Amino acid sequence: MTLRWRIVALVAAATCAAAAAVGVLVHHASRDRELSQARDGARTTLERAALGYARTGGVQGSGAVLDAPGLPGGLRRLVAKGHQGTEFATGPDGPAMWAARPADGQVLSVRIDMSTAMRNISALDTNIILAGLMTTAVVLPLGVLTAERMSRRLRLAAATARRIAAGDLDARISPAARPHDEIAEISGAVDSMAAALQERLLDEQRFTADVAHELRTPLMGLVTAAELLPPGEAAGYVRDRVRVLSTLVEELLEISRLDAGAEEADLSPCPLGPVLDEAIAGTGLSARLRTGTAEGTGQPDSAEDTGQRDATDRTRQRDSADDTGPWHSTDGPKVWTDPRRLTRIVANLVVNAHRHGREPVEVTVAADGRTVTVRDHGTGYPDDLLEKGPQRFRTGVRERGRGHGLGLTIAVGQAQVIGATLEFGNAPDGGAVATLRLPEGPERPELSDLPELPDPGPIHG
Amino acid sequence: MTTGFTPPGAAPGPGSPTEAHLLLVEDDEVIRNTVWMSLERYGFTVSTAGDGLTGLEIFRERQPDLLLLDVMLPELDGIGLCRRVREFSLAPILMMSARGDSLDVVSGLEAGADDYVVKPCESAVLVARIRSLLRRASFTPMARAPHAEARGGAPEPDGAAGPDTLVFGELTIDTLGMEVRRAGEPLALTPTELRMLLEFAGSPGVVLERRTLLSRVWDHAWQGDTRVVDLHVQRLRAKIGAERIETVRGFGYKLRR
Repeated sequence: MTLRWRIVALVAAATCAAAAAVGVLVHHASRDRELSQARDGARTTLERAALGYARTGGVQGSGAVLDAPGLPGGLRRLVAKGHQGTEFATGPDGPAMWAARPADGQVLSVRIDMSTAMRNISALDTNIILAGLMTTAVVLPLGVLTAERMSRRLRLAAATARRIAAGDLDARISPAARPHDEIAEISGAVDSMAAALQERLLDEQRFTADVAHELRTPLMGLVTAAELLPPGEAAGYVRDRVRVLSTLVEELLEISRLDAGAEEADLSPCPLGPVLDEAIAGTGLSARLRTGTAEGTGQPDSAEDTGQRDATDRTRQRDSADDTGPWHSTDGPKVWTDPRRLTRIVANLVVNAHRHGREPVEVTVAADGRTVTVRDHGTGYPDDLLEKGPQRFRTGVRERGRGHGLGLTIAVGQAQVIGATLEFGNAPDGGAVATLRLPEGPERPELSDLPELPDPGPIHG
Repeated sequence: MTTGFTPPGAAPGPGSPTEAHLLLVEDDEVIRNTVWMSLERYGFTVSTAGDGLTGLEIFRERQPDLLLLDVMLPELDGIGLCRRVREFSLAPILMMSARGDSLDVVSGLEAGADDYVVKPCESAVLVARIRSLLRRASFTPMARAPHAEARGGAPEPDGAAGPDTLVFGELTIDTLGMEVRRAGEPLALTPTELRMLLEFAGSPGVVLERRTLLSRVWDHAWQGDTRVVDLHVQRLRAKIGAERIETVRGFGYKLRR
């Protein structure tokens, strides 16, 4: 139950309870007053009648009767014991107050009819119930309104907090002055939390940029100086180590930029074929680029399998002569992405496949034109990686190969930046499989200008 | 005041480094010396300066064909130097940034730099960028050349809109004389701006993707930084009129006919 309805129910319950309590109290008070009046009246009349009876031996005109037939049993027994008393009872003639006393072996009694008084009391009860209902009818909408407003403000605060969590650090609940209550307090707290986060993020980004400057400046000198060394074995070592150091520094800076959230994707419609070609070419390693065909399967793994079995005519080496097909031209099917980051992801996956897996390394585009898998035929990803994802500087088993273990971390980070998902798994027949799912493009109207996505049928290259 | 966009000296061919004169402004002594030595090995003539003000002085004095500068410089920083040089010269400017963050890159490009590289970069990369910029500075549109020869290469009489003059509203582009006028007033465009304008003028009304422009004008690969294109479009708009180049959100730009 939402807070709003809880508040509304509480208001309704409180109003009803108050009305009921007042009603019960008023009902009892009125009844008691009526009864005590009737009792007094009956007693007075009885005493007067008793005096008259003692003097005259008759009861005519006194309002009392002797041995009345309707006298309640309890009162009759009391009188039989020689006492006098009163009793309220509802007989066949309606409610009435009785007073009785013994008189020479007979029972002298007075009956005062109370049906009018009782009718008045039930009329009063009805009025109290009506008043209660009317009060509830007036108070409840007010309660609904108040609850609605509180609930709206709380929901706004929650929505803003969610936006902040999703990375929109400019989101604020409201700069406008609000009634100073607890909700205003929590709104202010969320706002200042966002401001603090933003400040910290900017600090971190500044720090990253400064670190970059401090590391790259001497490195630039080192790189250019190493190039000037006369050729020789030692110079070769120096250049090789400088290159390793440069790569490590760039990767660390990239990770810290990704961590600091300083990276923003530069999205545009890009032909997938050339981007993947360039990514593979950039690594200087061999990888086969294939396009899968759809066999009515949505599962990436099975799509990949059927793609590999049924579309072998599409299989080709990156540098083979038939590389001029439409799929590889810039007019080919497009994805909405940042090609710089996509290239980085695919290149890192290919390098990782070569470093830790075994050839052949295959880069496959599924029939949807947006899912890219990179697989090798080695022993597959270690269980630790499948469980926890890539971790920095963890290269798995030592003898698996070289590398800093940053490549996959970067790939995952860059995939996040371009809104893609990167999953790691192992093929049933051995080998590591990384599946990159690129997001769909933005609004349809913009994409309508683009060429069609790859036809599910065979593509003639 | 303006030096125009005449080819660097009497360079024998486009992009040839022979006799191309570069000014390198860099405060780090090791980088300054090693880059200088590398560039000389590639056949460039290099002057160097260790701070922004000296750099500006040498630039005025020797009129180099290209300015290569670091963003963080003492006295006058790279951004300021860029802006000051652009006040009197259209020579290509290549910026080196060690921070590589948007602030450096964007403000440098806004100040008038043509392109940027992030440190550390190998000499080969630096030289490729320098050559691309020099080629642009000595650029003559190849498609037009046979046509000009057929007409005996005779220059158009002043003011007449011949077949080599493209007209877009108040903007006229003389593709033969490489002169751009807006409402009759000659415009001083940097080689990069001119090259980009010619790309637009070559297909008016057609959307040119940012990456297409990046590869055609800057020779950058697909992974290049498209902010370079965006900031140059901004600069070009400021010169030829903002309404002339339309933004097609998410795709690129087109020249309004």
